[in-house]
Amino acid sequence: MANQSFMKSVLKKTTIGIIIGVILVVAAQQTHFPQVFQVMFFIYAMLGAFVFILLDAPAMKRLEGIKAVVALLVFYVLLSGLYIAGASILPQFDPGVEAGKIEKVLKMRKAKSQQGKAEELIARTKELDERAKAISKLLRSLGAGAQVEAVATSTSGGAAASGDIVALGKEQWELQECYNCHKLFGSGGKKRGPVMDNIGNLMTPEQLREKLLYPKKWKAEGFDKQYKKGKMPDKYRDLMFDEEIDALVAFLASLKDTSVTTPKPIKMY
Amino acid sequence: MKTLHRSVWIIFGLMVCGAAVAYAQVPDAPAVDFPYTGNRTAVWVVANLHILFAAFILGAPIFAVVAEWLGHKNNDPKYDRLAKEVIKVTVILYSMTALTGGLFLFVLLGTYPDFSTWLIKHFFLVFAVIYPLLFILETVILYTYFYSWDSMKGSLKGRHIALGILLNIVGTVTLFVIDGPTSFMNTPAKAAEGVSLFEFIQTATLWDKMSNFSWMPLNLHRLVGNVTFGGFIAGLIAAYMFMGSKTDEERSYYDWMGFVGNMIGVGALLLLPFMGYLLACELCDYDASICPYMMADQLSMFFEMQGAMIGLIFLASNYYIWLSLKRIEGVENIRMSGFVALAVLVMPAVMGVAWKMFPPPEWQSLIYLAALVFAPMLLGRVPGLKNFTVSAFTMIKIGFLMIVVADAIWMTPHGFVPTQGLATHDLELPEWATELALMPAKNAAAFTLVFLTIVNYIMYNRAIKRGTIIWGKIDFASQFVLIFLAFSAIWTMGLMGTVRSLTRKYYHVYNLVPDFTPEAFTPTLAYSAWWITGVTIVFYAVVSFAILVTLRPGGSKAVVPKGSPVPVEAK
Repeated sequence: MANQSFMKSVLKKTTIGIIIGVILVVAAQQTHFPQVFQVMFFIYAMLGAFVFILLDAPAMKRLEGIKAVVALLVFYVLLSGLYIAGASILPQFDPGVEAGKIEKVLKMRKAKSQQGKAEELIARTKELDERAKAISKLLRSLGAGAQVEAVATSTSGGAAASGDIVALGKEQWELQECYNCHKLFGSGGKKRGPVMDNIGNLMTPEQLREKLLYPKKWKAEGFDKQYKKGKMPDKYRDLMFDEEIDALVAFLASLKDTSVTTPKPIKMY
Repeated sequence: MKTLHRSVWIIFGLMVCGAAVAYAQVPDAPAVDFPYTGNRTAVWVVANLHILFAAFILGAPIFAVVAEWLGHKNNDPKYDRLAKEVIKVTVILYSMTALTGGLFLFVLLGTYPDFSTWLIKHFFLVFAVIYPLLFILETVILYTYFYSWDSMKGSLKGRHIALGILLNIVGTVTLFVIDGPTSFMNTPAKAAEGVSLFEFIQTATLWDKMSNFSWMPLNLHRLVGNVTFGGFIAGLIAAYMFMGSKTDEERSYYDWMGFVGNMIGVGALLLLPFMGYLLACELCDYDASICPYMMADQLSMFFEMQGAMIGLIFLASNYYIWLSLKRIEGVENIRMSGFVALAVLVMPAVMGVAWKMFPPPEWQSLIYLAALVFAPMLLGRVPGLKNFTVSAFTMIKIGFLMIVVADAIWMTPHGFVPTQGLATHDLELPEWATELALMPAKNAAAFTLVFLTIVNYIMYNRAIKRGTIIWGKIDFASQFVLIFLAFSAIWTMGLMGTVRSLTRKYYHVYNLVPDFTPEAFTPTLAYSAWWITGVTIVFYAVVSFAILVTLRPGGSKAVVPKGSPVPVEAK
């Protein structure tokens, strides 16, 4: 009898949960929530139904001995599965993307560290060894003109290294994750920092460098609260190398899109 | 004789030179590469396991000494037995803390020798002198406290409680001391403007390094977390013992113990969201770029999972109250002002708006909060309005509805994307609803959860005072709720510990010592969940074993009188 009444309660609450869920989904559709949020609202409605079913569930019979042990083990397996599944259903990022970024950020630091120096030396020795072998092979088989050509070939290829400073600066923008606070080209930023599209017309490269290294020296108009809280980190003078700062400043100085309203910088001291 | 002496010295000298040359020719040991897991995960797993044991041995004595004091004050032997049983398990797990601590040290030194040495040198006094001395002192006091339990009774009980308090003081100081290097890794001391951080750290005093931005917030967060943990583990002990009990007396006692464990666990849990918020604020104040990393970038879905876990824990703890309430005779006569129910219904919306207008630390939002909390009490006393009441069951059901609503608000992200860079309109909240994902809404949801739980406890307290409770006759499902609470609390601790460590990004010490290894990236949430679950299961298995070995369900002697329908007030 108690079981029948509980089953009725389950049916009733599940039905109510589904009805509320559908109402929420329709309301979410009408108010332009994306589909993923509509599904989420439906799940919340069903969670509510499940909670209210549990509230009226009949008392559980006492378990003893092996039955209790098995029930416990099953319970643990279910909980573990639930938590792993829950965490796995949520969107996952690709660690490879971050690993690539880190590799670029740390490349210069690693090269300047003792460990990096040792690794660099080994790599350099190997490279020179390979070259020496290639040259001697060429010398044995070719004439002097060909020898010069071979040496010239092996020492060329620096175009990529010299690079375009603005492109390198754009890379620094990505690597230092400036986009997390500043909007640029219509993306990134959550009002923590000013839009940057026209900053090149408002600040000179020297002023940009000063702002980057000593953030408190400049304030963006309308960002009093953020300035007061010191939202712009003052860590870049410690973390970035001169070459990186030069590149980032060059990139920022190149941003001259007058169609985008960019807050006016104010010199503070 | 002189010749003999000279010969011996020459031979000795040659041996030393030979040994030195031989040693100098010994090549460096090969780099350690942990099989299957990799070095970083290996350190993570061992550290997580160690911290769980450490949290228990620090949290359980706080729980135990409070119980012992209550027993002494009220002359109630149940509390004394509870305290002693918890300490029994603590003594067993104390050795596991030391063992996993040693293991952690070996793994760390083997896998990251350069960084480990760097850190030890910066905190040499802490690692080589202060911490070991405190640990030894704590060991001595813990064993004295435990083994003097039976001999220090009667007039000596006060001194025994004082010993317990001393144990907790030393334990808390130990926690604060070791939190120094831990928090330093997150927020190393800040240099004055114009001074490089690298230069400053080389000359900084030990105190400069210890008293960094996140040190005190981490201390408070861990201290409250440990009490929560101690309470829920006491609930776990009670659940196991209840399930294994052979007599009504035993069931009566362990039912009561589960109630006390849950109450202390939930009581401390109410403070945890605010402690976590304080820690997060300090991290963001230290470096604002940590905030988007946590809330919008790689760690955003970790916080989504945290929201789900906290929501489940609040649901479960309130469900336990519900199950406890159902067995109280006369509960149907308990009523509460209907204005409380109304306040609960409007709380998320009103407080969301209030915190939007006056974000912390602006005080004006407190006016709204005070109005919501105290107005129902005042209105409930006004003649003509005081008859507007709801039953205990209706109130709790309204509470559950609002817990689901608050959970939903807490869990609504700005976008279902793992990093902000991947956000598109199809995955983000519409512009008009972005407030749902911001801190005012989250704070309102957190406060609603806390307020509801307090209201439920007030009502529960009224019910057990006015009604008749039969210990031992609780719904058997409640024991699974206690186990669920302990498991979920441990899992959440693992998750949040992972988050705290990951906020260092690709640094061993944030912005100071980069991690050059290929494993320096943020692991995915799914990967992390597997390891957190694994660590939780191992910890659970060890704790379960310790409980079974020390307390032996069904084998202990009955101490308390047989459970009978007695008004709680009379006990």
